[in-house]
Amino acid sequence: MDMSFIITVSNLQKHFKVSRHHRGLTGALRNLFSRDYELVRAVDGVNFQIRPGELVGYLGPNGAGKSTTIKMLAGLLVPSGGELWVNGCVPWRERETYVASIGAVFGQRTTLWWDLPVIESLDLLEHIYKIPRERFRHNLSEFREMLDLDPFLNTPVRSLSLGQRMRADLCAALLHDPTLLFLDEPTIGLDVVAKERIRQFIQHVNDQYGTTVILTTHDLSDVEKLCKRVMIIDHGRLLFNGELETLRDRFGGKRELVVDFAQAYEDTAVEGAQVTEREGQRVVYQFERGSITASELIGRLSARYRIRDLSVREPDIEATIRRIYEQRLLEP
Amino acid sequence: MWRVLDLYRRLLAVQIRAQLQYRIAFWFDLLGTAGITTLEFGTLALILQRFENVGGWKLGEVAFLYGLIDMAFGTMDMLFSGFDPPFFGQQVRQGRFDQLLLRPVNITLQVLGSRFEMRRLGRIAQGGLIVGAALALTKAHWTLAKVIYLPVVFVSQVSFFGGLFIVGATITFWTVESIEVINIFTYGGNEMMCYPMHVYPDWMRRFFTFVVPAIFLNYYPALYFLDKPDPFNMPPFVSFLAPVAGLGVLVAALAFWRFGIRHYASTGS
Repeated sequence: MDMSFIITVSNLQKHFKVSRHHRGLTGALRNLFSRDYELVRAVDGVNFQIRPGELVGYLGPNGAGKSTTIKMLAGLLVPSGGELWVNGCVPWRERETYVASIGAVFGQRTTLWWDLPVIESLDLLEHIYKIPRERFRHNLSEFREMLDLDPFLNTPVRSLSLGQRMRADLCAALLHDPTLLFLDEPTIGLDVVAKERIRQFIQHVNDQYGTTVILTTHDLSDVEKLCKRVMIIDHGRLLFNGELETLRDRFGGKRELVVDFAQAYEDTAVEGAQVTEREGQRVVYQFERGSITASELIGRLSARYRIRDLSVREPDIEATIRRIYEQRLLEP
Repeated sequence: MWRVLDLYRRLLAVQIRAQLQYRIAFWFDLLGTAGITTLEFGTLALILQRFENVGGWKLGEVAFLYGLIDMAFGTMDMLFSGFDPPFFGQQVRQGRFDQLLLRPVNITLQVLGSRFEMRRLGRIAQGGLIVGAALALTKAHWTLAKVIYLPVVFVSQVSFFGGLFIVGATITFWTVESIEVINIFTYGGNEMMCYPMHVYPDWMRRFFTFVVPAIFLNYYPALYFLDKPDPFNMPPFVSFLAPVAGLGVLVAALAFWRFGIRHYASTGS
């Protein structure tokens, strides 16, 4: 085991037996007596390593094997094959020791006590995780401020809004200074403001404490704002594992330059880019990554025209990833 | 060990505080559970008045058996309500059990601490009153040995029922469709243990002797407490097997529970 990695996963597999159901009335009778099983390879030979302090986005369509991987990493599931080292432990083998060193937020569920005021749940966690008094007080006061928990600290969890609950759950997951944080859909169902607050907090925890974060999400703006590195899984296999930039460069499609000219020009054509939209003084150019840089293009334009304002639009990461899934651009 | 007890105390305190938030609901629940028991036992008492006895046992003697089992089951239902099979099955399906597994605390302790049904106090109190009435009605001779043995039998019954709940909860790792079958063992077992065992057919009594050793927990100890003769001519020490049977069932249930958790970790469903 290499200590420079906080997570080492090699040839990880998880297979489930799923009983096959027969249809119709006779089928229902057959179900009573016979059981046919089908082997589902939810995770089928996955390899990756993660260094301490990384903030990694783990992406994939529903049923791709994302949450099965996370469950194995969190020690909830025993792998069918392969090896898994996290924080120097085999998660499922030493559950109690291992889970003390991690934090986890599963977006749809809460770890807090439903009928209790938030603060009482948090106080209870101090005892559950045996957090030293001083540490607990320090972390709580910091998270209270950063996540703005004070307005609902005495409200029972059942009366919180989704965003408030998520903030309380994030606080709960980090009070014991975990070195590793698993976030499964942390921004699901939240409005833009609430999402932004949560992202800022995750970034802060990663910067400030060097907490390693593994994040699964359907909202790719989470990934764009937070993660340098992404892993993409589909049909139980990793399709991509690397920098977000690399993913963009390889599959990103075209970038766009939006220019507001000082006056309406008749002819705005320029070499290396195509005009895709025109509206008064505003013109949108599309250009290929690799064939021309944004600054070259701006240089050419400003040599010919008077420009008032401009901005570069990166290709939508969501569209990129959708293309990868749909066209199966990355065969394993 | 102290840490474990301290944590358990805190988890229970949380449950109690949460339940006291709904004060009116709490009192209604308490009255409700107590009321049902009273009604059930009232019906039995009326029938007994008509027929004088159940299998040769008089009202006071049946009341002793009935009240003791009621108290024990109520106490168990309060302490082990986290293991109540339908409740536990739901916790597993909703992912709440996974949340417990993510905490660095013994999982059995956490399930015990996850629910504490205070309203069972109604049933316990009712059982206590019935036992009290039974003691007034029967003329059994209370020796020191009996006074010491009574709480032992009570604790054994609580462990026995607790074991049944744990077995039921564990089965929900495999299937939730058989919840009704599990209820036959827990609630049905509780119900049948309220009456003297010799009124049941042989096969049923054999089942509750050799498969589920319920007979050693209510019937035989009761024969001893009430100075009744044993119609099956078993050796007299059989009346003192309650702790063996009670703890035995609990220990076996906990072993099955650990096996179930291992199975759960390999299937996640």
